[in-house]
Amino acid sequence: MPRSAFFDLARPSRRHWLGYLLLAPAVLLIALIIVYPLFVSVDLSFQNVNIARLDQPRRPFTTANYERLFASEDFWNACWVTFKLVTIVSFFCFLLGLGTALLVNNRFKGQALARLLVALPWAIPEVIAVVIFAWLFDSSFGLMNWLFIRLGLVDQTINWFSSPDAAFAVVCTVMVWKGYPFVSIMMLAGLQSIPEDFYNAAKVDGARAWQRLIHITIPSLMPVIGVTLVLVMLWVFRDFSIIYVLTGGGPLKATQSLSIMTYEQAFGFFKMGYASAIGVITLIVCVIASRLMIARAPDNI
Amino acid sequence: MTRKTTRHALLYAGVVLTCAILVFPIYWLVVTALSEPSQLRQLPPSFWPSEPRWGVFGQIMAEKPILLWLGNSALAAIGAVSLSMIVSVLAGYSLSRFRVRGGQSLGLFILTAKMLPATLLVIPLFGIFRNLELIGSLWSIILAHATLIIPFTTWMLKGYFDTIPRELEQAAMVDGCSPLGAMVRVILPVSAPGLAATALYGFVLSWSDYAYARTFLTNAQGNWTANLGITTMKGEYISNWSDISAASILVALPILAIYLFLERYLVGGLTAGAEK
Repeated sequence: MPRSAFFDLARPSRRHWLGYLLLAPAVLLIALIIVYPLFVSVDLSFQNVNIARLDQPRRPFTTANYERLFASEDFWNACWVTFKLVTIVSFFCFLLGLGTALLVNNRFKGQALARLLVALPWAIPEVIAVVIFAWLFDSSFGLMNWLFIRLGLVDQTINWFSSPDAAFAVVCTVMVWKGYPFVSIMMLAGLQSIPEDFYNAAKVDGARAWQRLIHITIPSLMPVIGVTLVLVMLWVFRDFSIIYVLTGGGPLKATQSLSIMTYEQAFGFFKMGYASAIGVITLIVCVIASRLMIARAPDNI
Repeated sequence: MTRKTTRHALLYAGVVLTCAILVFPIYWLVVTALSEPSQLRQLPPSFWPSEPRWGVFGQIMAEKPILLWLGNSALAAIGAVSLSMIVSVLAGYSLSRFRVRGGQSLGLFILTAKMLPATLLVIPLFGIFRNLELIGSLWSIILAHATLIIPFTTWMLKGYFDTIPRELEQAAMVDGCSPLGAMVRVILPVSAPGLAATALYGFVLSWSDYAYARTFLTNAQGNWTANLGITTMKGEYISNWSDISAASILVALPILAIYLFLERYLVGGLTAGAEK
C-alpha cells in the first residue's frame, strides 16, 4: 500500500481509527472522575447511608431520602432561596453588565483601560471577594454602615449578618459584583459583531440613540443574551463558596440555597444519602437548563 | 460642536464614575491592607492611610504560612492543568478534525459536565478518595479540579482548532508527515497562543476553587491551598482585617496577572462550547 494512501486523512477508515484513539484518554478520565461519581451519587441517594464508605456492602434500596426531602420544610425553603437568588442576581448582573458594555463600547480615549477596569472583578477569586465585602459590611467599622448613616438612610448601624434580609442582600451584592463582568465581557463581544452599517443606515433614517438601542442593538444581541442568561443563572444556582464563606447559609437559613443545604447535610451531618438526593435534584435542574441553552445555540455546537 | 463636547464630557463622567464604583472594593482591599488595624477603627474612615505600611506583606508572610498555601495552590493547579491539557488537546483535536461516532454526544456530555455543581460531585468523590486514601493529599484536589477544567479546556481547544485551516495538515501530509506527526509538528506549534490561553484559564479555575479544598484538605494543614488558608484567617481574627486583606492581595495577584494577559482570549474561554 502506498504511504500517501495509508495516511490519507480523507479516507473514512483511517479517520475513525485515529479519532477514537485521540479521544480515548479523555473518555477514560471523564468516565473515572465524572461519570462514575455521578452514578455513585444517584446510587447513594437511594440508600440510607450516613457516611460514604464505598467498601461497605450496599444498603437496601429505598426512596426514603426523596420522601423525606419533599416533606421537609428546609428543602422548600432552600428552593425558594435559590429561586430568589437566581432571579435577583441574574437581573442585576444583566443590568450592570449590559450597561457597562454599552458604556465602554463607545469610542473614547482610554477605552482599553476602561474595558479592563470594568471587568476587573472577574479576576478576583470568589473567596477574596467575600473577604472584601465581609469587611465593607462589617457591623462595627464597615464602610457601608458609615456610608448609610452619613447618607441618612439609617439611624443606627445595621448588623448585616444577623438579620435574614440584610444578609440575603449582602450575598446578592457580592454575587452581582462577582458575576456582572462575565455579562459585560459577553455583551461587548456581541456588540462588536454588530455591523456598523446597521447604525449608519438607522442614523440616515433619523433614528435616535434610544431607538437604535431598542431596534438594532438589543435584537442583534438576542442570541448572546440567551446563552449568557442561562450561564449566569446556572452559576448562581450552583454557587457554593460565596454563600458558604460569607454566611454559611444563615442566619435562620435565610441564605441557605440548595448547594449549601446539600453540603451541610453531607459534611455537617454526614447524611450522605439524603444529601445525594438533593444533589440529584440539582443535577436534573442543571441538565435541563444546559439542554435549553444548547437548543438556543443549535448551529454552534 | 458644543453638543458633541457636552456628550463627550458626559460620557467621560459616566465612565469614570462607573469604573470608580465598581473597582472601589478592590481599592478598599488595598487601603485596608496598608492601614494600621487601629486606623481602621476610626470614623470617619480615611480613604488613604497616612502612613502606608508597605511592610505588611513581608510581615504577614512571616506570621502565616502564606507561601506554603500559595505553593500548594500552584502545585494543585499545575497538576490539574497538566493532566487536563494532555487529554483535552487530544480530545479537542479529535472533535475538531475527525468524524467519530458518538463524538457529538460526548461533546454534549462534556458541555453538560461544565454545568455540574461542585456540591453534587464532592460527595461521591469524597467516598472514592477515602477508599483510595487520597483525602488530605494534593492528589485529591488535582483530580477534583480536573473535573472542573477538562470540560472547559476540551471545548475551548476544539473551538481553537476549528479556526486553524485543515490545509495546514494536508500540506504536511503531502510532505510525508503522518496524521499524528502533522498534529504534533504543525498544528500544536501553530496553536501555541491558544494552548497557553487555555492552560491559563484552567489555572484560574483551579486557583479559585474552595469547595473541594475545604472538603478534602481541612484536616491536612500542611496541604492547605491559598483560598482555604484565607478562610481560616477570616474565622480566626474577627477584627484584624488588615492582615486578611494583605494575605488576600497575595492570593489574588496571580489571577490578576493572568487576567491582564488573558483579556483578549477571555471570551473564547467563557463561551467555550456555547458559542463560536
